[in-house]
Amino acid sequence: MRANFIFSEVWIGLRRNLTMTIAVIVTVAIGMALLGIGLMINAQVGNMSNYWTDKVQLSAFLCKKNDPFEACKGRGAVSAQEKQALQAKIQSLPQVERVDFEGQQRAYENFKAAYSSNSVFLSAVKVEDMPESFRVKLKDPNDYKAVFDVLSGSPGVSNVVNDQQLLDKFFGLMGKLRTAALIVALIQVFAAILLIGNTVRLSAYNRRRETGIMRLVGASNLYIQLPFVMEGTIAGLVGGVISAVMLMFAKIVLFDGMKQYFVLSTQLGWSEVAQVITLTTVVGVLICVLASFVTLRRYLRV
Amino acid sequence: MIHFDNVTKVYVNQNRPALDHVSVDVDKGEFVFLVGPSGSGKSTFLRLVLKEERPNSGAIHVAGKDLARLSNFKVPHLRRRIGCVFQDFRLLPNKNVYENVAFALEVIGKPRRFIRKVVPEVVELVGLEGKAHRMPDELSGGEQQRVAMARAFVNRPMILLADEPTGNIDPATSIGIMKVLDRINRTGTTVVMATHDAAIVDSMRKRVVELEDGKIVRDQSRGVYGQAY
Repeated sequence: MRANFIFSEVWIGLRRNLTMTIAVIVTVAIGMALLGIGLMINAQVGNMSNYWTDKVQLSAFLCKKNDPFEACKGRGAVSAQEKQALQAKIQSLPQVERVDFEGQQRAYENFKAAYSSNSVFLSAVKVEDMPESFRVKLKDPNDYKAVFDVLSGSPGVSNVVNDQQLLDKFFGLMGKLRTAALIVALIQVFAAILLIGNTVRLSAYNRRRETGIMRLVGASNLYIQLPFVMEGTIAGLVGGVISAVMLMFAKIVLFDGMKQYFVLSTQLGWSEVAQVITLTTVVGVLICVLASFVTLRRYLRV
Repeated sequence: MIHFDNVTKVYVNQNRPALDHVSVDVDKGEFVFLVGPSGSGKSTFLRLVLKEERPNSGAIHVAGKDLARLSNFKVPHLRRRIGCVFQDFRLLPNKNVYENVAFALEVIGKPRRFIRKVVPEVVELVGLEGKAHRMPDELSGGEQQRVAMARAFVNRPMILLADEPTGNIDPATSIGIMKVLDRINRTGTTVVMATHDAAIVDSMRKRVVELEDGKIVRDQSRGVYGQAY
């Protein structure tokens, strides 16, 4: 096997078919980048739902002094007695696993941690502004309705928030983004396969003299086909590298940038991005190699 | 060396067979002319030897191998033992003489040192010494055919198939081509040459196999082109 001979053939082939090669590279790059983004969204959602599964709870906020909520109109802050009665009442509900009281100071700490990047918020809000609340952990997060009703009907409760509903909205949005990215990725992969097929066909046509002579003097099938497959592989690899750059960019701009708008609590790590990049590059190269082989069988009788 | 036993070949969508129950034996070191009008089956004969086509019936042995039993995987190895020359030369226009000949060895994975040694020898054998770095379009038709013969012979094949090698070349130059073929034949290589060129056949006085409508109508040692019925 003469490696430099094969490589010079590959180089000639790529140069002769430059426009088609560029088209293949761009298509593979976009397709693999979108596939990667789909996978990254998947990883992000997976991380977050793991994190949230044992945190999801109902929050029952209590009335403060001069609270604007309807349920608090005409009454002052909740007294210590009322709090105790309410805690006992929640505790006695069969669906409840645990109930914690969150005082103003702790609420303020949590708030500070969540909005550490937003100094305007932080300076505007004081400890006294934070509402006290009961954090109710349910045995089954889906079984919230009864507890929700009891809590909202109790005196001294300003409003009840179900974390599950907030998260569902967010996960739903992420899920739609993921589906959209994967669908477009699929279309791109399809386009890439057709393009590679065309490139190989053109390449085989351009080199029909050479391949004819190779056949005649007894070159093995591998020797005849390898330059064509290598062309596909190189195009796939270059496309994969470009998609890797796009994915790293996406991690920094999209996923790290999202932190400013959502309290993500879990971050997509570089190791996960590296996994995604490896996977998409391998998929990209494989698609190119397979598409080359399949078209070669049709257009290059050996 | 080449053994056809009752070989029939019918191309798809054709009623008339291209070769019709042909039996012929070519021994090692022989020089055989294959003559006959266009469409008589000469090219089909050569294609069958190369296993580019398969016969519909009958057995073909080439260089001791039964082609029916030869797997597709091994066909390239068969072709390495057979050199081919055509009417249209089939040179690579973007490679010079040396590179055209070397190409045949490169693509079967021969080491570079071997190629550097062998190619100049063969270029000299076909009478192109000093022209190794010419491009094909700088050569005459006869010289281009010599390059093609050098390429066919460079791997020292056991058999050389020539399909109308003088078809595009004027008579005076053809004599030179035939001398090269004769020289190759004298190294022990079996030569089978399909041709229309009566003058050449008559002057060489070699074995002549005449085909007509796919049948062998004459097989004569030391024969001539178109007489002697």
